[in-house]
Amino acid sequence: MTVLLLIAVGALAGTLGAMLGIGGGIVLVPALVLGFDIPLEQAIPASLMCVVASSCSAAAGYVHKHLSDIRLGLSLELATVMGAIAGGMVAAMVAPAMVAVVFGLFTLYVALQMLLLRSPHQEPAALDDYAPTNYPLGISGSFVAGGLSSLLGVGGGPLKVPLMAYGMHVPFKVASATSNLMIGVTGAASVAAYALRGHLKLALVSPLVVGVLGGAYVGSRLMPRVPTAVLKRLFAVVLLVVAGQMLWKGGEGLWPSILK
Amino acid sequence: MAEHPEVSEPEDARAARASVSAVAAEHPAVSHNVAVTGGAASLTQPDAGAAEQVRHHHRERAVVGDRWIARVLRVGAVVSGGMFVLSLGLEAMPQSERVHVAIDLLRKGAASLLLVTPVARLAVAGTLLGLRGEWRYMAMAAGVLGLLAVAVGAGIQA
Repeated sequence: MTVLLLIAVGALAGTLGAMLGIGGGIVLVPALVLGFDIPLEQAIPASLMCVVASSCSAAAGYVHKHLSDIRLGLSLELATVMGAIAGGMVAAMVAPAMVAVVFGLFTLYVALQMLLLRSPHQEPAALDDYAPTNYPLGISGSFVAGGLSSLLGVGGGPLKVPLMAYGMHVPFKVASATSNLMIGVTGAASVAAYALRGHLKLALVSPLVVGVLGGAYVGSRLMPRVPTAVLKRLFAVVLLVVAGQMLWKGGEGLWPSILK
Repeated sequence: MAEHPEVSEPEDARAARASVSAVAAEHPAVSHNVAVTGGAASLTQPDAGAAEQVRHHHRERAVVGDRWIARVLRVGAVVSGGMFVLSLGLEAMPQSERVHVAIDLLRKGAASLLLVTPVARLAVAGTLLGLRGEWRYMAMAAGVLGLLAVAVGAGIQA
């Protein structure tokens, strides 16, 4: 029964992750910790493994349909990995709780803007009718996303999709598909780091990955058919959840020092 | 790729254009990394046919390249998923030492394959872009691979 439930949770996370380009960790980590009483140090690597599975399954379809922008992905991937390494190097010097609060507030701002305001720029009529702009913003934003991923354990997707869609004027669906392509590589590196420390539990990962692979396949078939406006709303709701998680995480770290 | 019948063009250019249209029809959502710009207007130039053929050639290579990348990702996902499913199926069988070993091996193999797949995708993308003469992107792919190796070696979660 537990195996079937894990497959179902994985399928839900895979579908959502593939449609929005966020991997699905946002669903998996709380579900595993709160719903299955799995310790956080096991839930995070399992969730990262699912992000890799979601990326492989969804990106295969998106690359085949030419929805993923491989060149843009490579440019931003390089900045992300550099940011992650920089984040890992400065991790001892910054307070993760403070970074979580700042990231949470920023995510909240982006989510509310997506929900309440009309998009300032028009989405192109066809998905091939665009050229990414603002590369300096995209690259520096990806560097920050990589750093945050390393400092806070959040995937880069929730930051990189709005960055590409709003900062670089890439169509939302292309941004989501490109993010799906990118998160696999960084996720694999993160899992490898956890696996080397023996934190990867394959008995937990197996049913989750099976569900995620199926869910991501379904999500990648659904995404091109779903109206962009609906995807944006869904993404904004997911961002609200990320913001809540980050503010909670930051608050947990900051409250004791404030109360003292 | 609008048709302009009033423009005279060589037979091979017409064939190339028809093929490009077929590719475009097959792949309606072509992103800027594949799309090769240029319309029928340029066919008024003397070398329009040759230019169109070059564009067609580039486009077809890009499409084929994308298919290779998609294939790498799909094979990795399907094979590792199949191994995970098999390991779950073995769990339902009567437990013995051999079954336990088989489950363990299948899961380790599946996890390794899944982790290698995005890295292989990156290597394939870099190689294909290098073969197309896009050295900048090939260098980026190599840079990402090198930095990831450093990150994993140093135990940093990228």
